[in-house]
Amino acid sequence: MTSIDGATRDIAAEVREAILAVYRDTARPPRETPGSALLGSDLGLDSLDLAQIIVLLERSLGVDPFRDARGSAPRPPIRTFDHLVALYVATLAARP
Amino acid sequence: MSSSASPPRSAQAQAPDVAAPARLAAAIESVAAADPDRVAVVTAAGLGADRRRAVSYGTLASDVAAIERRLAEAHPIGVIARSGEIAALVAIVAACGRQRVPLALVAEDSRDLVGELRDWSVCGDDLAVPSSPAQGRSRREYDSSSPQVVVATSGTSGPPKLVEHSWDSLLAAARLAEQWHGRGWILVYDATRWAGTQVWLQAILTGGRLIVPASRDPDCVARAAADEDVSILPATPTLLRRVIASADSDAVGRMRLDRITLGGEAADGQLLEQARALFPTARVTHVYATTELGEVFRVSDGLPGFPAEWLGRALPGGAKLSTRRDGELLVQLSRDTAEVATGDLVERRGERYEFSGRRSDTIFVGGAKVFPRRVEDVLRAVPGVADARAYGLPSAITGEIVAAQIVAVDPLPEGVTPENLRAAALAACRSALEAHSVPRVLDFTRKLFTNPSGKVPRRPVSR
Repeated sequence: MTSIDGATRDIAAEVREAILAVYRDTARPPRETPGSALLGSDLGLDSLDLAQIIVLLERSLGVDPFRDARGSAPRPPIRTFDHLVALYVATLAARP
Repeated sequence: MSSSASPPRSAQAQAPDVAAPARLAAAIESVAAADPDRVAVVTAAGLGADRRRAVSYGTLASDVAAIERRLAEAHPIGVIARSGEIAALVAIVAACGRQRVPLALVAEDSRDLVGELRDWSVCGDDLAVPSSPAQGRSRREYDSSSPQVVVATSGTSGPPKLVEHSWDSLLAAARLAEQWHGRGWILVYDATRWAGTQVWLQAILTGGRLIVPASRDPDCVARAAADEDVSILPATPTLLRRVIASADSDAVGRMRLDRITLGGEAADGQLLEQARALFPTARVTHVYATTELGEVFRVSDGLPGFPAEWLGRALPGGAKLSTRRDGELLVQLSRDTAEVATGDLVERRGERYEFSGRRSDTIFVGGAKVFPRRVEDVLRAVPGVADARAYGLPSAITGEIVAAQIVAVDPLPEGVTPENLRAAALAACRSALEAHSVPRVLDFTRKLFTNPSGKVPRRPVSR
């Protein structure tokens, strides 16, 4: 469990860093990113921001869950920071 | 180096009774007869006097005659000119033209297309002409329906393909007036592509010197131009931008250009201004041409794009321009020919139509169109940015997002760091572009990737 928790913490840090990079690149003040924060209303992220976050995370984590999962079973909606982290944790765990 | 101030004109080559296919061989012969030692081609230029190789008109004329004899013996049904040596290529083309042998110019990266020309003989650096591979299919006489010259397209917007031309269309854009004779031309294009053929044909038809730099590295191009007394620089805007931004300033200072002819890509206003400032005595012309259509028009007024009043009117060469509803430029070369969709998009800005990019380069972000050229123009205007490329990255969320690469000037201006240059570039985009057009990925690169035609591709090379 420790290693999975550690991996989750690392991935959460990467996701947080990607969100901060989006704020920085779009000249917006940074916001706190608690796990329950809603990506849209709490963090102010729109679809373009999310598209940028996915590209940044593909560079740092090596996966794009949205592209890699094409054609597979529908996934639950990604509404919060934790949802996003969980998606990357699951995608990385399923990687051969 | 030979740079005669008043070179003898090739009377024979200019005479109207020299048919187009024979004109190149006749021009070489004429100059060789009057001045056999005159330099026709210099290769490996820009690396110093000990590395350059020069070929005279006398040698070129002997090579043409030798190839013509071999063509008469081998009777190939067609010749694929494949030579890394420009002088050999010139001789092969001249000989095939005068002997009315169908000719194909196929660039290295278009070799897959050669399958379409099976049974044609390949003629290379050794100038040998093998018999046609298929026994019994050697030609007896070429009929008028045979292709005269086949050239591969650059593949900027799709796979390269072979396009047939006549000798008349190949030579149509050559300027033969006295003022063009005996000049130094630099060849930075692939000699087997349309743009390249236009440069070397022009140089040799007018008894000029064709200078081929050892590489397209900006330092090498600038030194070749300065050392070899080049007066005419035909280049893509990308290459000129590199020479201006990063070539050895001593060599650039020694360049004495009379003409800069830009083609292959649209030239932006900023580049035209920079070129005027750095080469104040040079006339800067932007040529609009495609491999399929040849030259359509040229603009020399120093402004980007072309005058809006040209649309719908017959231009001096006979071509007529119009646009589709989405802004794609259509060209009708003459009344008897069909309108051709060029794939180039234009936008009206005041009294001009300016190029906004290739239709195939358009990036679609959440259904909204982004023209990479507009993004690049904004990025290049940022102090400290030497060059830029914008392209679309696929996205499962928005279809694509805008990504860009920038090349920083070297050294960076005082007080500028890569971090604040990047921030300034993004800020410039935010203030000049709509939100969906602002790059979401912005990386530094030392050099933009260019394809064999010297153009910067705007599709991602890989993801």
